[in-house]
Amino acid sequence: MDSATVAKGSFLALSLPVILSACQRSQQALEQGAGFRVFEADEAADLTAIAARIIPTDDTPGATEAGVIYFLDTIFAEARRASQLALLREGLGALRGQLTTGGRPIHELTEAQQDQLLRDNEQTPFFATMRYLTIAGTFSLPRYGGNRDKVGYQLIGYEDRGAWSAPYGFYDADYAERGE
Amino acid sequence: MAEAVFPSFPTREEVDFVIVGSGAAGGVMAKELSTAGHSVVLLEQGPHLKAADFHHDEWGYDHNLELTWGRSQGYPQTFRKFESDVAEEREMVCGYAHNVGGSSMHYSGNFWRFRPIDFVEASVRGPIAGTNFSDWPITYSDLEPYYTKVDWEVGVSGLQGPWDPPRTREYPCPPMPIKGSDVLLERAAKAMGLNPYPAPVAILSQPHNGRPGCIHCGFCNGYGCEVNAKSSSLVTVIPVALATGNCELRTHCTVHRVNTNEQGRATEVVYWDADGVEQAQRAKAVVLCANGSETPRLLLMSESAQHPDGLANSSGMVGKNLMFNGYSTVMGLFDEPVNAYKSVPATRVVHDFYELDPSLGFYGGGGIDGRHPSRGAPMGFALTAAPAFGTPTWGSEFKADLAYQFSHVAAFDGHTTSLPLSTNNITLDPTVKDKFGRPAIRTTYMDHPDDIETMRWFYEKTVEMMEVAGASNIVGHYERDGQEGNVHLLGTCRMGNDPDSSVVDAMNRAHDVPNLFMCDGSSLVTSGRGQPTMTIMALAFRAGELISQAARRNEI
Repeated sequence: MDSATVAKGSFLALSLPVILSACQRSQQALEQGAGFRVFEADEAADLTAIAARIIPTDDTPGATEAGVIYFLDTIFAEARRASQLALLREGLGALRGQLTTGGRPIHELTEAQQDQLLRDNEQTPFFATMRYLTIAGTFSLPRYGGNRDKVGYQLIGYEDRGAWSAPYGFYDADYAERGE
Repeated sequence: MAEAVFPSFPTREEVDFVIVGSGAAGGVMAKELSTAGHSVVLLEQGPHLKAADFHHDEWGYDHNLELTWGRSQGYPQTFRKFESDVAEEREMVCGYAHNVGGSSMHYSGNFWRFRPIDFVEASVRGPIAGTNFSDWPITYSDLEPYYTKVDWEVGVSGLQGPWDPPRTREYPCPPMPIKGSDVLLERAAKAMGLNPYPAPVAILSQPHNGRPGCIHCGFCNGYGCEVNAKSSSLVTVIPVALATGNCELRTHCTVHRVNTNEQGRATEVVYWDADGVEQAQRAKAVVLCANGSETPRLLLMSESAQHPDGLANSSGMVGKNLMFNGYSTVMGLFDEPVNAYKSVPATRVVHDFYELDPSLGFYGGGGIDGRHPSRGAPMGFALTAAPAFGTPTWGSEFKADLAYQFSHVAAFDGHTTSLPLSTNNITLDPTVKDKFGRPAIRTTYMDHPDDIETMRWFYEKTVEMMEVAGASNIVGHYERDGQEGNVHLLGTCRMGNDPDSSVVDAMNRAHDVPNLFMCDGSSLVTSGRGQPTMTIMALAFRAGELISQAARRNEI
């Protein structure tokens, strides 16, 4: 076993790195098609494109359908995140300025070109932040603007029922059947 | 029940008791003292949240720390491994929930009793050089009646295990239904000749004391219970305390000092109220139940000419002997859906390794249970699973992996001992302050080599169990370089008979201050095997009874 690929498991999850700070906002104000509160249209298009490479739309919905851009627009609308928003914009600007884009906006690149651009920048804080926020926007409660239609929950087979009774899965059903 | 009349005590008149902190211990203490007829003011720095306030809100709780608070909310802490280091500022080191009920609101509710050996292990096993490993001044027999009180008054579900210590009364509720992750654990354990048995949990498997049974939503660890099935002090003992009419609960109160008089007695507790106005509640006696990091900080902040090293600290032991408990986790993937994200964290335990064989050459022991590796939480799993498994962290392959991993994963976790060391401690940070200007809690902590060896042993044992269980993609982790934070905050005002080596006596009274008591995780002399809250609550039931009796005899 490779000790570098460690699973910190439940304790790690209890102390998730905090990149950003608190925010709450109702989803009602963020109906699909509404304008963005924070992002310019071209910024939103680029961020949407990046999120879509992290959790792509393929045979199932991805970050785009989850509305990750609306999650980002919600959390960065808070004044106290102004400096973090500036960092995000700085990171996006640096990405846009790279030769591999050929001067074209990121969202106009092909998916293969976008993937290459992100691979080249995989170790940057900007990419780590975008990965973190894309996942957060896909799997957090819909009230934060993302996880629309519970796309994230469906993606991982999380049944969003909030209450269950045993058996919960294959092994405990089998256990009961065998009378163990 | 008739609507309770909530008292409002004037701050400038003495109440019988001020209790600082409404968590696992403070809630029990408030109930015991108020039902015995004493007037009580219960101070809590956080809000009084209710079931309707709790949601499956990973972004709010895990990312934004809305329940636990941290640097983002104005409560930075600092950490260093060694006393020679300069501590660095962190979002959080000692983790605990800030609300009525304290961390009993968001805990997993794993309610293992300590065993007889935990109280006498130092003398049975012999001293360990360089540590403060000691016997307790009380035994399991002393505490057993109060463990039973916790079982019944707080509410515990379980079944007596093969070599559990004797109990005077059965559990009030049967064990939780087994989860798939624990079927895998149990089958592997039995194949290895071990003796798994149902995990005792402070979560109701059926209605008890007017509260409903668990709906198995899966959001226990780190979350508040939305149906009041989790047996926190918030929904068990605190409502009983408030119903007496003798207990005033004051929320949003930030305590920063305990004042004493020339006779060396505690006279009042000084705090900022919800409006930020400084108040001082006078009391005949003061009980600190603020947790193993806040209680020593408050004592150290209460220094005076008479108590130059901090209140109740003539032994120099206030803040020392901090014990986190060790931890290991191993996860693997299975062919069929496990769905470990449903229901309570753990439904089986393996306690065959409670005491590791001394011939291994190091001290330690612990227990093993089965779980979901991210507490069943989707966002936490999606963030951490791929880096842990070493699989792609973004893109279509990442997405496809997640779709399989979340429901097909199980984790076997080890929960282990920590040795008490003077060099592991809570002190006042010399420079960093919280938003009230209180010195930040500075944690200095490096696990003892035996503690790390114990974690490694449990890690390797659970890897073996995963293999026997038939898992693929087995990966795991333990803190081989030492832990840098935890939610178990133990030992920092240790109990003992000797005033030179302990802070409180066998009834939780400060050796130095006759009307000051400390009762919470700080009282623990040894760490147990990784599930301390049952013992913290039992200690509070016992201390509450003894303190009340002493008050009636005018012996406080």
